[in-house]
Amino acid sequence: MTTRTKVLEKNGAAKSSLASVWTRAFTSNSEWPDKEEFLDVIYWARQALGVILGIIWGLLPLKGVLGLLLFVLINAGAIYFYFSNFQSVDEDEYGGAWELTKEGFMTSFAGFLVTWIIIYSGLYYETDKLSSI
Amino acid sequence: MWADTLLIVFISICTALLGEGLTWLMVYRTEKYQKLKAEVEKQSKKLEKRKETHGDSLDKQHKKKIEREEERLKNNNRDLSFVKMKSMFAIGFAFTALLSMFNSIFDGRVVARLPFLPLTWIQGLSHRNLPGEDYYDCSFIFIYILCTMSIRQNIQKLLGFAPSRAASKQGNSLFGTAPGQFK
Repeated sequence: MTTRTKVLEKNGAAKSSLASVWTRAFTSNSEWPDKEEFLDVIYWARQALGVILGIIWGLLPLKGVLGLLLFVLINAGAIYFYFSNFQSVDEDEYGGAWELTKEGFMTSFAGFLVTWIIIYSGLYYETDKLSSI
Repeated sequence: MWADTLLIVFISICTALLGEGLTWLMVYRTEKYQKLKAEVEKQSKKLEKRKETHGDSLDKQHKKKIEREEERLKNNNRDLSFVKMKSMFAIGFAFTALLSMFNSIFDGRVVARLPFLPLTWIQGLSHRNLPGEDYYDCSFIFIYILCTMSIRQNIQKLLGFAPSRAASKQGNSLFGTAPGQFK
């Protein structure tokens, strides 16, 4: 039943003059009549950002609290910039800036840690282990 | 190092898919669940809208209506959790057994090197059953939990099994706010 409702919603959106979610996500000041849709964009953007930052941090390699802090700052900052400057949405409609800033944060953080740890261990395990002895 | 960590990611993807598959088999596909879920979602959205438009008004009639709807939503939410509960228990037991099996396979094995020193209360998890005092060494369970946190939720969302935001928001507010807020 849920799938059917979703299909109906999608068809409804397709019939209207609105462009696809992808196009709107990358176009500034797009219209977001469906709040859930915009929150989904924020959620998935955050997951992608988490994995990308994890890969970069692992390759560099960034270590320690600095890596964690930088991730939190960039992740929250980029999303804040995205919804307040790029899309210019009314934060209050979504329950305030905090609600948007924390949308999908923990999942993104977990994804970031996993990629960071995997890449770092794969590339620098031996050197790191030797230097600690 | 690559082999162990990638194997853990693979295990976690498989267990997440298995968990969702089993839940689908036992819960999601049942008519009762689908009916209740659609009802809860509809009611949550309706209630949210009503609260937005009349939330601040002092009109007694509106408040009564909101209260009534909250009560109905609460009942439906309870029924929904009850439908889920039985299968969750079954899956929980199966996964605890699986986890202990993986735990014994990776027992005492350093699977990764952490690029940061974990907080003291996390070290018990990240250094579980590992020899030595080097807390940068990481155990299976820590990576597995992180993988599950990220992969399971994303898979649920991709498959459309995650609870809707409106429903979880209303669900939380039901337990989070003082009773009789709209009296």
